[in-house]
Amino acid sequence: MAQQKKGPVFAIFFCQQLDARQDINRRCLEKEFGSHIRFFPIPCSGRIEPLHLLKAIESGADMAYLLTCGEGDCRYGEGNIRAKKRVNYAQGLIEEIGLERKRIVLISKKIDAPVSIDILVREAIAGNDMLPIQWNGHNLQVDD
Amino acid sequence: MITAERKPITEIEAMLNPFRRILVVGCGTCVAECAAGGEKEVALLSSALRMDARLKGRKIEVGEVTIDRQCVYEFINELTGFVDHYDAILSLGCGAGVQAVAGLFPKMPVLPGLNTKFIGETKETGLWIENCRACGDCKLGYFAGVCPLTRCAKGLLNGPCGGSKNGVCETNPDTPCAWQMIIDRLEGRGQIDLLQTIFPPVDWSKYEGKGPRKIEREDQRSGS
Amino acid sequence: MEVESNLKKVLMNGHFAVTAECGPPKGADPDVIQKKGNILKGYVDSVNVTDNQTGVVRLCSLAACAILKREGLDPVLQMVTRDRNRIALQSDVLGASALGIRNILCLSGDHQSFGNQREAKGVFDIDSIQLIQTVRSMRDEGKVIGGDVLIQPPDLFIGTTENPFADPFQYRVLRLEKKIMAGAEFIQTQCIYNIARFKEWMKQVQDRGIDKKVYILGGITPMKSASMAQYMNTKVAGMDIPDHMIMRMKSVAAKNQREEGIKIAIETIEVLKEIKGIQGIHIMAIEWEEIVPRLVEEAGLYPRPAV
Repeated sequence: MAQQKKGPVFAIFFCQQLDARQDINRRCLEKEFGSHIRFFPIPCSGRIEPLHLLKAIESGADMAYLLTCGEGDCRYGEGNIRAKKRVNYAQGLIEEIGLERKRIVLISKKIDAPVSIDILVREAIAGNDMLPIQWNGHNLQVDD
Repeated sequence: MITAERKPITEIEAMLNPFRRILVVGCGTCVAECAAGGEKEVALLSSALRMDARLKGRKIEVGEVTIDRQCVYEFINELTGFVDHYDAILSLGCGAGVQAVAGLFPKMPVLPGLNTKFIGETKETGLWIENCRACGDCKLGYFAGVCPLTRCAKGLLNGPCGGSKNGVCETNPDTPCAWQMIIDRLEGRGQIDLLQTIFPPVDWSKYEGKGPRKIEREDQRSGS
Repeated sequence: MEVESNLKKVLMNGHFAVTAECGPPKGADPDVIQKKGNILKGYVDSVNVTDNQTGVVRLCSLAACAILKREGLDPVLQMVTRDRNRIALQSDVLGASALGIRNILCLSGDHQSFGNQREAKGVFDIDSIQLIQTVRSMRDEGKVIGGDVLIQPPDLFIGTTENPFADPFQYRVLRLEKKIMAGAEFIQTQCIYNIARFKEWMKQVQDRGIDKKVYILGGITPMKSASMAQYMNTKVAGMDIPDHMIMRMKSVAAKNQREEGIKIAIETIEVLKEIKGIQGIHIMAIEWEEIVPRLVEEAGLYPRPAV
């Protein structure tokens, strides 16, 4: 796990409707990534607030992901449509302070087959090319 | 309600640059309703400001507080003592709020975090429209509840200009023509003839005639 | 010497009037206006000078009118309420009359957001109908807004515009009636291309007997090209050019489109002459004043009556 200590820290917000085996699936990732990954279950992605995403970055995450079901899948109607707009707002805000928009990522997954957040997150992390944020002067310490 | 929008971070940052300890003060009334200066927005902006400072290698301290109304002394007074710890206040109130806070703490720089926009209505979630200009002489009774002074781009009181087309204003296809609305409503009530009276020029003295306006109500005042 | 409005005399004597528009230059050169005036001289009864049209800064209408007056033309002073408050407007009305200008056209004006001063504050202290009423009261009662008495009232023939192609259609004629109630004596219409709609509007005008209370001049703008037609239809506020008209312009080769535009204009004038209640035309040849003499001649409206 030594290599990950220098790598980015991931905050994963996810809709609890997405994966029935979410607790088991996230646990294996938590074991593997340790303090470099943190999961935030939300009852529906529509409950996400830009503040959650910003707070995640402010308190140490280099990447914030929001995992939602696909458009039309939301059991509450339009949760993931709202989520998309809020993600967009938060992206705009971090861009204003000079961070890259793509540090906040929306992953929308059509629920036509069983979804595993384990696989989704691994794919996302594998596809990530962002380095840890260079906080000028005083980086936050990540405790292992 | 009075509506407002957050200023760009770069502008806020430039104003705050000389200060290290900053208190972001929200207002729980109008600007909270229009999602510009309530508790949530105070938290969001404070977070962004802290990160912004860290990215630029500056050390700042950002305090957060939201009071019920920034335009009423009793509520602002809750900040007394509390503000002493800070070098500046970033107010997320409307222009009246900023001034009232600045008035109570004259030694403290009080900076505006919002651009105050207009008196408006929450038309839909996330959509606010301007519909009152506070002219001081309400004429809505004559215009079927649509203010032409505010909602017609030219403020015409005697009917639509030649730029009204398909129900929208010539200045902006997103803006409904106020006169189309007025006429449709009055027609629906069979009262279109109300519009045949020529409306005299507006008495702007009720609006800006003698500088800033005030309302004085003896029955509401304390003391003798 | 008593100066009188030529336009008023032509109309009162029952002639079919011809007026043309003259746009002042974006500069201080008086020759441009003199030149435009001289092109139009003898072919029109009166020349109508725009007031910072579409919100673009140009030489002021009042000065341009004074220059045209000096050249022996009968100018119509356009006055919009967009840029000046009631103090300035009334003051200019007096000034215009003192300079011998005898016609005024009261308008609200294109919104400032269209022009080259988009950050300007739109004044709109009063609207066009209130301006008509104001000028009428200054002239007939010798009183400014608020009732103060003038030493000498201004002498002006008062007109305004109407757009039969704008919405709400059902209210356009009622609004025209309101303008007449306010004191308008002549009306210039928006450029006419949609003849069917114009006739429908004129029918309403006749039904309410409005044509007996006011002189109506039909607006004519010759199109230079199919692209101009398309541009005006989509980009210019309050314009209505039917598809068949645009198709007709497109159907001829680009080099012949000007001729086609002139042909359409002349045909439209012929139609207007036959409509009861139309007492003249107003030609708005935008930056194409030199075409006006030909239009007037070919429409059989030359020479102009001496009144």
